[in-house]
Formats: sequence, C-alpha cells, structure tokens
Amino acid sequence: MAKARAIIKRLKAVRNVRKITRTMELVATARFKKAMDRAVEAAAYTRKISEIVADLSQTLSGDDSAAASFSHPLLQKRETEKKSVLLVITSNRGLCGGYNGGVLRLAQARIREARANQIELGIEVSGKRGIGFCKFQKIPTTASYTHFEDKPTFEEVNALATRFIDAFIRGEIDRLDVAFTQFESMSRQKAVVQTLLPIGKLEGAAKTTKSDVEYEFLPSPQEILEEIVPTSFKARLYKCFLDAAVSEQIARMVAMKSATENADGMIRSIRAQYNRARQSQITSELSEIIGGAAALE
Amino acid sequence: MSTATVNIGHVTQIIGSTFDAEFSMDKLPAIYNALKIDTEVKGLKIKVTGEVQQHLGGGRVRCVALGSTDGMVRGMDVTDTGAPVSVPVGKGTLGRVFNVLGDPVDGRGDVQHDERWSIHREPPKLENLSSKTELFETGIKVIDLLVPFVRGGKAGLFGGAGLGKTVILTELIARIAAAHGGYSVFAGVGERTREGNDLWLEMQEAEIGSTGRHVIEQTAMVFGQMNEPPGARLRVALTALTMAEWFRDATGADTLLFVDNIFRFSQAGSEVSALLGRMPSAVGYQPTLGTELGALQERITSTTRGAITSVQAVYVPADDPTDPAPATAFTHLDAFLYLERSIAEKGLFPAIDPLSSSSRILDPLVVGERHYKIARRVQQILQRYRELKDIIAILGIDELSEEDKLVVHRARRIERFLSQPFLVAEPFTGKKGKITPREETIESFEELCDGKWDHLPEGAFTYVGGIKEAAEQAERMAKA
Repeated sequence: MAKARAIIKRLKAVRNVRKITRTMELVATARFKKAMDRAVEAAAYTRKISEIVADLSQTLSGDDSAAASFSHPLLQKRETEKKSVLLVITSNRGLCGGYNGGVLRLAQARIREARANQIELGIEVSGKRGIGFCKFQKIPTTASYTHFEDKPTFEEVNALATRFIDAFIRGEIDRLDVAFTQFESMSRQKAVVQTLLPIGKLEGAAKTTKSDVEYEFLPSPQEILEEIVPTSFKARLYKCFLDAAVSEQIARMVAMKSATENADGMIRSIRAQYNRARQSQITSELSEIIGGAAALE
Repeated sequence: MSTATVNIGHVTQIIGSTFDAEFSMDKLPAIYNALKIDTEVKGLKIKVTGEVQQHLGGGRVRCVALGSTDGMVRGMDVTDTGAPVSVPVGKGTLGRVFNVLGDPVDGRGDVQHDERWSIHREPPKLENLSSKTELFETGIKVIDLLVPFVRGGKAGLFGGAGLGKTVILTELIARIAAAHGGYSVFAGVGERTREGNDLWLEMQEAEIGSTGRHVIEQTAMVFGQMNEPPGARLRVALTALTMAEWFRDATGADTLLFVDNIFRFSQAGSEVSALLGRMPSAVGYQPTLGTELGALQERITSTTRGAITSVQAVYVPADDPTDPAPATAFTHLDAFLYLERSIAEKGLFPAIDPLSSSSRILDPLVVGERHYKIARRVQQILQRYRELKDIIAILGIDELSEEDKLVVHRARRIERFLSQPFLVAEPFTGKKGKITPREETIESFEELCDGKWDHLPEGAFTYVGGIKEAAEQAERMAKA
C-alpha cells in the first residue's frame, strides 16, 4: 500500500505542474499575438528609416565636397576601442525554455572576448533572469532594469537610448552591443549580439546602393541626417526590445507546450505504474486469504 | 549413535521433499536429528538423509529430505543417526568443494579431518561478541565512500534479477580474498551451478597477493545449487557457516564468508513450509521466516576469538525491497548495498544506488570527519538531482535556477564517476580492473564536489579509478 500511495502523491504533483504549464501556454499565446503585431509594425518603420539613412549617406558620399566635410559622430568607428557597453535583454519571468539561456551564452562569449582584448566592458542587464544569472556568475553589472515587460514603450527605451547617445558622443563609450533574441519568423528566433553604436554599415545600405532614386533634400542632407541618425538608432534599439518581447512569448509558448506534453506522458506512465501496483497488491492479498483459508481446512 | 542397538523405523508417508517416518514410541528421534535411508529398490540405489522437523505423535516424525525423494516408497527402513547432520571441519576442508552433507564433490577423494561438527549450533554468547568497529577497505570507490564495509561485520548486496549481484560478489572475492591472509568460505545457495563452477576454476588460477599460492588453497566451498531439493538449499548455508565457525573458533583467524544467495535460503524454507503443515504468512512466506533467518544470521558474527566478515547476496523479487524475504535479511546487516535497475540500465556498473544504500559505520567516529562530510555532500548532490529529475523531465533543464543547474551538472558527473572497472569483468569490458585506495577516493570526490573538474565531459568519468584517470580519459577522448 505504501508504494501505491507514494505513486498517487507523485501523480498529483505532476498533475499540478501540468495545470501550471497549460495555463502558461495559453497566457503566452494570447500575449504573443499582441507582441507580434507591435514587432511587425515597428519592423517596417525601422527598415524604412534605415534605408533613408543609407540613402542619405549614399547621396552625401556621392557629393565629394560634402563627404569630406560632413560626418555624424554616431557613424564613426573609433580607432581604438577602450570602453564598451553590453546591453543584455532577458525576460523577467522564467518558464520560457532556452530563451534566456541562449542570450546569456552569447553575452558571456562577448564578455570573454572583451576581457581577452582588455576592453573595459560595462554590462547593463534588463530582466530579472539575466540579473540573477550575473549575480550567480559574479559578473559585475553597471545598471539593471526590470521595467521592460512584454509591452516596452518607446518612452522607456528613448530614455535609455538618449543616455547611450550622449555617452557615445562625449566619448565615454566607444561601442554599444546588444544581446537579445531576434525575431525572424514564427518558427525562427535567434539569439544574437548586435553592434548598435557606432552605426556602421547600415542594414539595407547594400541593397539600396545602386538605387536609382534621386532625392531632393530640403533644407539640406546634412541637417536631415543630423536629425535622422539618432532617431534611427533609437528605432533600432526599440526594435531590439520588441523583438525580445515577442521572442520571449514564442519561446514560452513552445516550452510550455512541450512541457504540457511531457507532463501528459508522465501522468500516463505513473498511472500505469499505479494500476500495476494496485493490482499486484490485490492479487497478493487474495492469494494470502485463499492460502490461509486452504491451510485451515 | 553410541547405543549398541541401532534405532530403525520406517517410512509412512512421502510428500514432495518431506517424508514421515515411524519409530517405536520410546525411541523417538530428536528434532534436527539426521535420519538415513540407504536401500535398494528394484536395483535402484536410494541414499537419502532427512532432518527431523516435527514430532507428529504416535511415534511418527516429519522430516525434510536433504536429497531427492525420487524412488522412495513407504515401508523403507530409516535409521536414526542419533545426532544432527555433521560436516567435516578443519584445515582439511581448504581447497575442497562440498555438498550440504559435508561430502566432497570435487572428485579428489576423502577429506582429511579430525572433527565433524553439527550444522546446528548455538550462536555465540552475548558476552563473547566482539565490539570492535573497523573499516574494511575494498578498493571500490562507491563502496568505500558511501557504504563502507565493517571488518568482522556483515554486508548485503540487494538487487533484482540481472543487476550484477553475483558479479560484485565475485569481484569482492577477487579483491578481498586475494589480499587477505585468513581463510574464506563460499556458500552457493540455490544459484546457478555454472557460476559455482566458474568461481571454482577462477579461484584455482587467482593468486593471493604475490605469495605464489592460489586463493583456492585458503578457501572451502559448499554448494547446494538450484537443481537440488529445497532441503539441501535450506541447510547448505549452515554447512558452510559451520566450517567458517571452526576457522574462527579454532584458529582465531579472520575468516570471510560469502553467501550467494541468502534469498534462496528463505525461498527453500517457504517451499517446505507448507509441506510441513505450517500456515503461509505474508506474501506466502513461511510464518517462521524471521526465526529461520535469525538462527542463521545470528551465528555469522565476530567474537573476541576471531572474526567472520561476511558478504551476502540477496535477491530482491520483482525489484520490490519491501518483500518480506529481503526485508527480513536487511535488519541483520551492517552495510547494505542496494542495486538499482535504473543505474544498470544506464550501463553504469556496479549499479549500487548511492542513496538507498547505507552503512552502519558511515559515521564520523569511525570513518573520520572528512570522509563523512564528503560522503554526505555527494549524497546531497545526488539527492537534489533526483528531486529535480521530474522537473527536468517536464520543463527541461533550462528552467532550473543557476544553482540547480550546477547541481545537476555535478550530479551527472558524480553518477558516472561512481562506476568502476572490475577485475573480474576484464574479459568483458576490455578495461583493466581498478583498485582505488580510500584516500584517493575521498580526495577525488572532494574535488568533484568543489567543482574542480566541471570542465571535463561527462563521458570522461565513466569507468575510471581516481579522478586523475578521468582527466586522462578526457584527453584521450579529445584526441579521438
């Protein structure tokens, strides 16, 4: 009996876990939809603004005199890289499979690389999971944020971005990397480390190099660039957070789905175990009674 | 026997491996007396020894046959020998193989002996028991660290079918008997005859240390294997034990007693129990299960004169340790090794479960503070890992906290490091058996718990001796 009861206890525990994972799966599915819409909308905007920046710089570089005279500080690659910042975007909550693990693995690789090249690396972490990881691994962090949930607002990211821009222009940092999970499609998300500052070769730049479109700028390309380069950076940083948010929900959905399935399988096998234990117990009790009765005759 | 007139009765009933015999009322044989039948029926020689178990009244006694009852008929003459079965004891028994009656079965002629001892004896008196507690090193990591054996104590190997009980037992014989100066007695109770034969041949080859003498010269073997009737399997352990007792009491030497398999003793008891008219008890075992086993186990002890260190294999039916037979055997032991199927299924041998197995002397007062602490740490890590297993199975390893991930990481390495190549398994594994001194074992596990070897791949830890060999294996793996 002791054995059967222990099995029942375990069965109950697994059932409870299953209840949680099933709920989490549903919640993640609902949140994913909204996060996905936001990310897709922002993606279009980010792409366009990158294109414009690329086109502008193209136009400028075509114009010899202007190219020599103008260059935005955010576009310049520093010759020696001394101080650098790594922003790691993780989730506040767990139960999302390998989502945080993937980002943190890449972040760690970057930290090791920086150490090897003797670059002073400031680490900023968003999300409780990442903060906990750094604490455990004894990685010193310069700043940590927990207010970026699954709906990061532009204002919040803007404050962060402005600080980075100022620091970069003042020369306090030479490079900014962001470790996050990039959202490519429903079935594909990839943990990446992207260099956001300096804004080097822009995405889309290669594609539009041969663009035949000739813009006419008013007031002047320089002035527009002055305005648009920081905006582009902000948009890209914002996009990182949005991507991270949607990837988190997808990761959670997938992880919880498989967890629920695993729990189902486990429940089945525990049930079978219990039935067997119960049956053998009944059999042995029966045979004891019959044996006892037979011996008394 | 001493009386001039021989006490002769005749058989009145035969039921399976028990029979009844009738004697005259005033010459009733005592309980446990040996009765002999030695006649010829239709040209068939019948020679059976029986042991009186019950007085039925009216001059009739009920006996358990220690041999086959085939061909026996009612009315046969039965001679009361006037004493229980006795077996030859002394140094003449060394190097020989016996059956339950103490007759040699190795085809090497008569046994030189001055004395025969009855197989039924009193256990040593309380005042004569030895109170020493001393560790007995085996060179097997998992045993020395987590389930240290007691010198002069009893160790049990519990396990279901095919988990390697007999292999571990043979390994222990190879390790202990080969390094041991005293005498050894091996009792084969109800196991395969082939295994007994293998062991016998192996002992003839194995040498004791570097003395050039063979292990068999210091060993007496007694067999009552599966093919024999329950009576033989029920008494063969006592025969072996009696020989071991002589070594202990007469020479004062350290004696080793190996029993494979003590469960068969209980099983044989249950086979004859119903035939003797006892009502079956829990799970169909004999109601006297505890008494029978107690009478045997209480005699396997160390006295102030000499010590018997005993290792016993205990079969666990249906992998259920709560079965009455293994549960009863459990209480008599100092060290308790439980073989676990899930470990054997991973291909990690010896498949000793580090959490269910225990030893009385895993105590800082005996093994020392350091050993105790490290053993407990190893168990803690493995215990935590076992608790986390369900979570990992459902949610995956990524959901664990960083601390728990580290625990799992180390536990998986410890689990593998607990395996070890065996001397007797060399022909099968192709790996040389490893004897790891206790000091090295402790140090290895300490470093493992401290995380000094976290960087090695898991595979490097399987089937090695000390931790340095794991590092070497990792290098070899990296090259390959």
